Amino acid sequence: MDKKILIAVAVAAVVVVAAVAAAVILSEGEKVKSGTVYYITLPPKDMRAALSTGQIDAYIAWEPFVSDSIVGEVGEILKWSDEIIPNHPCCIVAVRNEFANGPDGSQLTLRFIKAHIEATKWMKDALGDTGSAEYTLLVNMAVQFTQRNDSVVKAAFEHIEYGYDMNTNFRSALEQFTDMYIETNMTTNASLAARGYSSVEDFVGKYVNGSYLDDADSVSPNSTILNPDAPIRLGFLLGDLHQMAQVVAQNKTVTGTGTSLFETYGVKVVNATGAPFANGGAEMNGFAAGAVDMGYLGAPPAILNHLNAGIGTSIVAQANSEGSGIIVKAGSGITSLDGLVNKTVATPGESSIQFLLLKIALQREGFELKIKT
Amino acid sequence: MGGMQRTLNTLKKAILQNWKQILLSGVSLACFVAGWWLYSAWLHGDWPFEGRERVDFAEYVPYPWVVLQVFIDSFQHVDGSGLYMGEHVVASLKRIFIGFMLALAVAVPAGLLMGRSKAAQAIGSPIVELLRPIPPLAWVPIFLVVLKFFWGPILIVFLGIFFPILLNVRLGARSVDPVLIDAARTLGARRSQIFFKVVLPYTIPYLMTGIKVGLGIGWMCIVAAEMLGAVGGGVGYYIFLTAGMSQYTTMYAGMVTIGLLSVITTGVAGLFERRLNRWMGMK
Repeated sequence: MDKKILIAVAVAAVVVVAAVAAAVILSEGEKVKSGTVYYITLPPKDMRAALSTGQIDAYIAWEPFVSDSIVGEVGEILKWSDEIIPNHPCCIVAVRNEFANGPDGSQLTLRFIKAHIEATKWMKDALGDTGSAEYTLLVNMAVQFTQRNDSVVKAAFEHIEYGYDMNTNFRSALEQFTDMYIETNMTTNASLAARGYSSVEDFVGKYVNGSYLDDADSVSPNSTILNPDAPIRLGFLLGDLHQMAQVVAQNKTVTGTGTSLFETYGVKVVNATGAPFANGGAEMNGFAAGAVDMGYLGAPPAILNHLNAGIGTSIVAQANSEGSGIIVKAGSGITSLDGLVNKTVATPGESSIQFLLLKIALQREGFELKIKT
Repeated sequence: MGGMQRTLNTLKKAILQNWKQILLSGVSLACFVAGWWLYSAWLHGDWPFEGRERVDFAEYVPYPWVVLQVFIDSFQHVDGSGLYMGEHVVASLKRIFIGFMLALAVAVPAGLLMGRSKAAQAIGSPIVELLRPIPPLAWVPIFLVVLKFFWGPILIVFLGIFFPILLNVRLGARSVDPVLIDAARTLGARRSQIFFKVVLPYTIPYLMTGIKVGLGIGWMCIVAAEMLGAVGGGVGYYIFLTAGMSQYTTMYAGMVTIGLLSVITTGVAGLFERRLNRWMGMK
């Protein structure tokens, strides 16, 4: 009897110890990290200086402002944006609906998109062979466009994925961004409804117009310029390496025939008044004022300004994916997102894709992103 | 209770004495709001302009009551940066206060010196005239990197407030009636006594004008000061943030906030001026 009691006690003790051990192990496994990362808003061009003077501990920006700090040995990469969301969309090509629906608008948009596709293909080929004359030409164009040296430009090219396709990944990423904007009051379900969209999926489905990409195969080179007296007014951002396709499409040496890719497809393009724009919000105001017909800009400002102010635009092609990164000060010893807790990170602003990427990366680790106070 | 009654009586007396001005101010404000409402209705094609086609950019000019609603709401709900309007107001007030105190500390002695000393005028004038026309916005990127995030935005505000105070104090110090100085000297006053008992009091009304003008310009500079790197937000930051996302109704709420804050701070300066005048026996 005593023996039985002893066995029962021993079994109970083993069960209790095992349960406690399991609880400890499980709670360790489920332990959620907590902490706050603080942000401020800075233009990417000033981020390197702010990092080097110790005003900020890290920043997130697009190329070439990421490679600028790496090549200059001011900063080190903490995370490339493709490590946060692989193939995340970034810059897009937008068209003003009034222009696209106007006289020859549809045909002009189609020809523009064809030139954009060819420019993107040319860039991809050039980047695929770094020893080629095309690669050298591309680097030279980028140096001139961004006002950065060739080492920075070459390093930056390694992290940008140029492309024009708008696949399901692209669309679902835009849905995710829109959901996040609604969560953070940057836009509302009421705005969505006011623009005639029944849901976020419905909005993305209608706002992203893939018909020009679908029809682009039918466009052939055409020596007759369709719009000699009414050129397409092009909007783009200042020195944004993501938008190189428009630089390539406007360059007269790329085709080897003395005409630009735009001209090859029979379309005249000029820089819009106000271009290059300082940011996507300013470019969307150009669209609203009727001063921009087609433009390259980030997907988030296009979405937000369309939903909040009803600016009549559509996304008609992608310009690039990836190509952003989180930079920390060189020698800071920060090797993971944990190291950013209680530190200050500069972002280009709450409406930028970089802000969203930072927020997503931190949320996954259980950290909160709050404005520095 | 007695104090409260006294204040109410004073207020009642002031209203009765100034009812015409108050009425005119009320009518002026009502006309402004009515004009705004009519323009908005004209753009939207609403009553009394029914049948008129709605203009594309109608959303850029929302109705006054919609702005009022968003303005009230902004104190109850956070914006895209996770802050309430109250927090933005506090952040901006801090910048304005520190910028104002700095401007006062530098501009008053500098203005008095330049107004009373030809050498000081010769030294200070070229720098003042060279820097005065430069818009504060131009300094933003430089101040941000050189003076960092705390002092950078404050110094932008400082620039806005500094020059009106300096120029008014200089004008006041220059305009002192020479007869008063001669009279003081005849009565045996020393240089320091002439300065503190004649020149300085004579300059006070000019200083107060400079303060009131400067505070208005300080608020005008707040968007430039807070558009970049503003720690803890600010009403200027709020306007910049919402404008970038085309949240124009929200942006107007920020503009209304700045207008109200400017009216309040300038009003406080006006009250202080009246007290000061009474204390100095000027009124």
